[in-house]
Amino acid sequence: MDWLQKISITCFVASYLVVFALEVSRMFFQTKLRTIVRLGLTAAGLFAHTVFIAYHTQSSVGSDGIWLGSWLGWGLAVAWLLAASYLWLTVQKPKSLIGLFLLPVTLLLISVSTAFGDPGSFSTGRARTIWNLIHGSALLLGTVTVALGFVFGAMYLINARRLKLKQPGWFKLPSLEWLQRSAERSLAISTIFFGCGLASGIALVMVKKSTEIGTPSIPWGDPVIWSSAVLFLWLLATTVFSVVYKPARQGKKIAWLVTVSFLFLLVELMIVLQFGHATPIAEVASALQTESLLCIGGTA
Amino acid sequence: MNLHVIGCSHHQSSVSVREKLSFTPDQVTTFLNKFHSTFPLSEAVLISTCNRTELYAAGKTLEGVPTSEQMIDFLASERGLESGDISSNLFAHRNQEAISHLFRVAASLDSMVIGEAQILSQVKQAYQLAVDTGHQIPLTHQVFQTAMKVAKRVATETDIHANRISVPSVAVNVLTGEIFERLDNKRILILGAGEMAEETLTYLAAKDGKDIVVVNRTRSKAESLAEKFNGQVADWDDLGQQVAAADLIVSTTSANEPVVTTAMFKEVTGSGRQQPLLVLDLAIPRDFDSKIGELPNVFLYTLDDLQKQCEKNRKSRQSQWPKAEKIILQETTNFFQDVHRRNSGQTIAQLKQQANTAKDAELERLLNRLNLSPEEEAVVEQSFHRLVNKILHPPLKSINADKGGDSGGLLDAMKRLFQLGD
Repeated sequence: MDWLQKISITCFVASYLVVFALEVSRMFFQTKLRTIVRLGLTAAGLFAHTVFIAYHTQSSVGSDGIWLGSWLGWGLAVAWLLAASYLWLTVQKPKSLIGLFLLPVTLLLISVSTAFGDPGSFSTGRARTIWNLIHGSALLLGTVTVALGFVFGAMYLINARRLKLKQPGWFKLPSLEWLQRSAERSLAISTIFFGCGLASGIALVMVKKSTEIGTPSIPWGDPVIWSSAVLFLWLLATTVFSVVYKPARQGKKIAWLVTVSFLFLLVELMIVLQFGHATPIAEVASALQTESLLCIGGTA
Repeated sequence: MNLHVIGCSHHQSSVSVREKLSFTPDQVTTFLNKFHSTFPLSEAVLISTCNRTELYAAGKTLEGVPTSEQMIDFLASERGLESGDISSNLFAHRNQEAISHLFRVAASLDSMVIGEAQILSQVKQAYQLAVDTGHQIPLTHQVFQTAMKVAKRVATETDIHANRISVPSVAVNVLTGEIFERLDNKRILILGAGEMAEETLTYLAAKDGKDIVVVNRTRSKAESLAEKFNGQVADWDDLGQQVAAADLIVSTTSANEPVVTTAMFKEVTGSGRQQPLLVLDLAIPRDFDSKIGELPNVFLYTLDDLQKQCEKNRKSRQSQWPKAEKIILQETTNFFQDVHRRNSGQTIAQLKQQANTAKDAELERLLNRLNLSPEEEAVVEQSFHRLVNKILHPPLKSINADKGGDSGGLLDAMKRLFQLGD
């Protein structure tokens, strides 16, 4: 269908930008009509976003590379989940200005994905293997939960700060209790997802190596592999730390932990960008390394 | 419809005057019965709250409704006062002004605390007392039902009720929601057992606060307060332990020095709190050392901090005033147009009936005298019919065009001119 082709990134980015502007305006004046417009525009943006992802993924099936496994596809899929989370949270917490924090992360992700977009990284055959599917999905969901955790943490720090300064009420945020609980959960869930992502990535490499040279081994020297492992270990350590050590359960500490986790994730993504897509596949020394590098950036 | 209101409110009367003119519900019933005996053609409703006493009287005809002076005399005599002593403290409104005033009162625009919700239930109660006397009050029914509808419209379409303005309500409704997701699983500690503590507990209970502990130097007072809210009582000596276990503390004692010092707080909370603690120090002088508010995860709010929020909310409510006034004006106009439409419909029907009766009688007489064929009779009949319609058209058009202002003069003039009954 022709109209599907006409939906571009600009369509849903424009929707999200208008929604963000409406969120900002909530700090200054109240009107009921805006809520309807905001929800409507978010839903419209999500629809366009969904169509865009579905169309390009469908179009890539049968070709050499699967679109959803590209940087652009993967980034837009994460952004889609964040935008959907915004819609859901807006319905759950209609008075809170969650979009003020969540939408910039979503828009930033779309911008970065568009700027570094490199469609066609995966071969369809590889993308369809079960390990790739688990690996890509786990990393995708892990990224989303870390990003959400960061948003909850940032909101916690700001809300706690203004309550300390005795300036409540200027704009509404979720309660500290809810933010702390949500940040804790996102930390635990992201640890599970990144654990699954790392384990399935390792399994992928070992299966492939075993098939090719008969000796399974893990290339720990690869920056993507070790940085992924460091990110996972950090998440695991913070989760265990917050469960075992009571003082670490303080809302402010949890908020800082999820913020640092998000920074770790950004570093990890930069490493993947640098050593993954920046290096042509043909120039990578071994098939083993190639496999792991691509898996980090892919979902299918 | 003719509606008169006289009364006093916090705007023009001192508390001493309002006290003299206030009525208990039983006294209202007695008053209304006497009013109906004295003015049998008039309906009456009496609103009596701590901030106002207002007597509404309505009747189909102007003659049936007592004048403002008569109403003031009656009110004064019922309270054992001289009219001259109170008349300067009273206001009087008629018809459109009276309706508009009632709408404003019901919508809480005339209240001491603008936007307070209690007045609407007081207006409803006053109307119900009038209904319970057993007298027919169709006109005031219409007015009061509309007033309640208007009050709801103002509440829905403006934010006049949105922001709390009393210290305990702001403390509970604004701050607890910023920190806690729910209150039913939070330990609430109340220090002191006075009025402020009780008012704050009322708001906390409304937000589902259940786990309540009251601590007071006089244990009997604490027990009395705790009993009202299904709470527990703890000894004053256990204060430290109770502070350590609490999620929310409301402090309202009359102690001259802080009852919780920083050293004591640190000692009982040990290495620091994992969960946030909200302290609402509503006492003067303060019960909590101000340095406690600097500790991690402790949010200490004093009376001064909350007053700022109250003042901000008051201003916010005032900003909604023009929007609310616009609704009142619109509804008052609509109300009178409805009343006029109903009344004019009745008058028009009466006028048409009267004209048709005269036309039919004259037609019958004429046709009996003339020996006409059926076709000729039909022509004459049509001619009479057209004549009546042409005569009635200008006055009916004028009635329909009349918006039914305050006087309702045209309709009354029409009734008198054509000798139409009510």
